[in-house]
Amino acid sequence: MAGRVIVITSGKGGVGKTTTSANIGTALAKAGYKVVLIDTDLGLRNLDLLLGLENRIVYTIVDVIEERCKLKQALVKDKKNPNLSLLAAAQTRDKSAVNADQLKEICDTLKEENDFVLIDCPAGIEQGFQNAVAGATEAIVVTTPEMSAIRDADRIIGLLEAKEEIKSYKLLLNRVRPNLIKSNDMMSVDDVVEILSCPLIGIIPEDTGIITSTNKGEPIVNDEDALAGKAYRNVAQRILGEEVPFLDLDEPKGFMAKIKNAFAKLKAKV
Amino acid sequence: MGLLSDIYNTVAKFFRPQEEQGDASKSVATNRLKLVLMQDRTNLTPKILEQMRGELIDLLSRYVELDKELLELNFEQEGDQVALMLSIPVIRAKDEDEIEAALKAEAEKLEAKLENLSAEDSVNSEESQECENSDENTEVSETSESENNGMSAPEGMNTNKSQEEIGSECHSEV
Repeated sequence: MAGRVIVITSGKGGVGKTTTSANIGTALAKAGYKVVLIDTDLGLRNLDLLLGLENRIVYTIVDVIEERCKLKQALVKDKKNPNLSLLAAAQTRDKSAVNADQLKEICDTLKEENDFVLIDCPAGIEQGFQNAVAGATEAIVVTTPEMSAIRDADRIIGLLEAKEEIKSYKLLLNRVRPNLIKSNDMMSVDDVVEILSCPLIGIIPEDTGIITSTNKGEPIVNDEDALAGKAYRNVAQRILGEEVPFLDLDEPKGFMAKIKNAFAKLKAKV
Repeated sequence: MGLLSDIYNTVAKFFRPQEEQGDASKSVATNRLKLVLMQDRTNLTPKILEQMRGELIDLLSRYVELDKELLELNFEQEGDQVALMLSIPVIRAKDEDEIEAALKAEAEKLEAKLENLSAEDSVNSEESQECENSDENTEVSETSESENNGMSAPEGMNTNKSQEEIGSECHSEV
């Protein structure tokens, strides 16, 4: 069996790469697939926190590369889902502790025994990025509907296009705020897709539940009611090749929105 | 009063249909972003674009009278392709005499440039090198001659003349 190796990248920091990695990984594992998450953000590791595994890490990816342990020993199993495991980044080392060939070798080994290897890429376009994409054949570019994030995503897409090994890349639009899009104060999904001319794999609404889920160390896909959780589960299904319609975020929700809408219609009639 | 009008504005804004509201900060962002991405993707700096614009104005104004202020040079995206769009507001087309005069002026400019170059050479470099340099210059003027030949006769003659001059200078100095 040869699994798929997908890198989750963005260029800009803080747009939700790690949250996306944790959630897609968890969703795929819940769907019954064997998944390994690799945190390649050496020195700034966070994926362990989002999964609530920070107290279980003994060995890191650098220990594997410097042969202080076997690859299997460094894989930390998820608390709830035995299908999911994490290969953590070293917190005390920097990006130069690993090179692209070593990471590719690790990915090649891991994909033999797993359905999915998801790589959480560090921000930036330097060595850390080059390392992270080295073993991947697919990419998910995370961006938000903000100018700086889109510009950086465009750079990343340019770099991915130049890489022969990357066979496909898709866009994940994170932190979308429908009310701002409605008032014309945020670029719409269509605007971003048109500007980047990149196929879309998911639209994730801004959700305060992300903050609480991070606090608890539990990915939001485990919350059946959260909208962002549903959006991430849909992304996982699309990765698996299913056609799932994008969530309709325009629907006005809540009592006030309905009143407002009713008045707007009334006024239009008059 | 201030408070009352604030409240009124807030309430009025609340009941206004949403399409009327946004002062379209989104479209500002979209347009700025499109422009900056074009530049990122093509590696053309604003300085080079400005230079390109200037040279295009020079070239075009030989043949037409145009509104230099309104000339627009922009990148536009059509699907996957990036195109350089040039919009030229033409005031009127020049007639043949004017075009000829403009070309002549251009040729004279070129000639002056060449002379300057060879003058600099004779000051700066040793005699043997200098002759080689002016030979190169002669080649330049030859090519410009053949380019211009089809356009106007007097200009071609001008260039010929300059060629002779440069040649003779070179010989006399050697």
